[in-house]
Amino acid sequence: MSEDTNLKRREFIGNGAKLAAGLTIAPGVVVYGLSEASVPDRPAEEPASSERRWGMLVDSNKCATGCDKCVTACGEENGWDDSEPNSSPEQKAQWIRKVELRHKGTGKSHSLPMMCQHCENPPCVDVCPTNASMKRADGIVLVDRHRCIGCRYCMMACPYKARSFIHETLTDQEPHMPRGKGTVESCTMCVHRVDEGREPACVEECPEQAILFGDLNDPDSAIAQALTRYDSTAVREDLGLNPGVRYRGI
Amino acid sequence: MRISKLLQMVPAALALTLSAPALAGDGAGPEVPKAIKGEECVEPTSDMRRNHMEYLKHHRDEALREGIRTKQYSLKQCLECHVAPEGDPQAPQDSSEHFCMACHEYAGVTIDCFQCHATQPKETASFHPLVTPGMKAIKDQAGRSGELLNQFAESHASKTRTGAIQ
Ligand code: SF4
Ligand code: SF4
Repeated sequence: MSEDTNLKRREFIGNGAKLAAGLTIAPGVVVYGLSEASVPDRPAEEPASSERRWGMLVDSNKCATGCDKCVTACGEENGWDDSEPNSSPEQKAQWIRKVELRHKGTGKSHSLPMMCQHCENPPCVDVCPTNASMKRADGIVLVDRHRCIGCRYCMMACPYKARSFIHETLTDQEPHMPRGKGTVESCTMCVHRVDEGREPACVEECPEQAILFGDLNDPDSAIAQALTRYDSTAVREDLGLNPGVRYRGI
Repeated sequence: MRISKLLQMVPAALALTLSAPALAGDGAGPEVPKAIKGEECVEPTSDMRRNHMEYLKHHRDEALREGIRTKQYSLKQCLECHVAPEGDPQAPQDSSEHFCMACHEYAGVTIDCFQCHATQPKETASFHPLVTPGMKAIKDQAGRSGELLNQFAESHASKTRTGAIQ
């Protein structure tokens, strides 16, 4: 056995041990509330690094027509599901939506979730006059609401219609996801979960396991492996934004 | 000469107006609720009184823009120790019972944090030491925590209050 394989094997065992630790501490003692091992991938005092680039691969072949579990999961996780009772559906925040595509010629239809694509060259960041729209070192695109003035330039600039403006005074925000009237918001790739070593809510809740989340820069990650193995597309590849979210089967 | 005399009078006048509400109460300043957890704050109390906003502002930029997730100066962590979650017997019923609001109202300083940030820690966190058996029972009835919070917000909104927490 070469040294290389040995290392891989050790890493594998190590990861297995970490997984087990999250669920049981001793025989018969089960820790509830931890649905998966959450090992933060860096210490709390360390900033996000550009060595990683978080991304997602959505398999539209697996994504079921009519299912919106990822949308519900996102709304509940981040508190945007029924937070604006006086707004019309067009006005309400929508961080992720299900899109149905049908090929006109063949009639074949696809279903897929659409959210902020976490562009490498994000137009929303280019146009923001206050630097509120920003890309974190690890590729996650966020709105710094301490700075956002609600001008909505970014909403116009985003080719994926990924951003929402909040029209109403909000009261029962989630402690991990501050949101408020007069600012713009979009998918954060569940940055609060990612920093704890957990997967985004949509990824966890998808019953078809149609969304793969991981580090695009790590050649050993499941997502990087899948990307080398299968054809995948960025939506509007022609724009050259190099999104962190890619799709299979469209 | 006159101007300087006037200026000398300003602090005296300020002191008078500031002490008026205090005199109406017990004369000892704002009634700030005691922390529900822990014995001491992350910095000495006198330092926190003077500089908490600087610490918070510094931390918020680091946390959001760089992803530094230390807890020492995090607003979420302030609330974990200083405010009980909704449904808890110690939970604030109006802003005068809320740690941050009580003092800010007394001092007449607007606080914008809670236009976006939650005013209380979340009662659902599985390991939250403040989750009491009573809380669990309420949670089981309400199903999802969002519904519980909405119910709570509605019952709060129906009460007439002065200086509502946003
Ligand atoms: S998808 Fe839209 S909001 Fe997200 S990074 Fe790209 S331009 Fe910005
Ligand atoms: S709405 Fe906010 S985030 Fe968007 S461009 Fe204007 S200031 Fe920037």
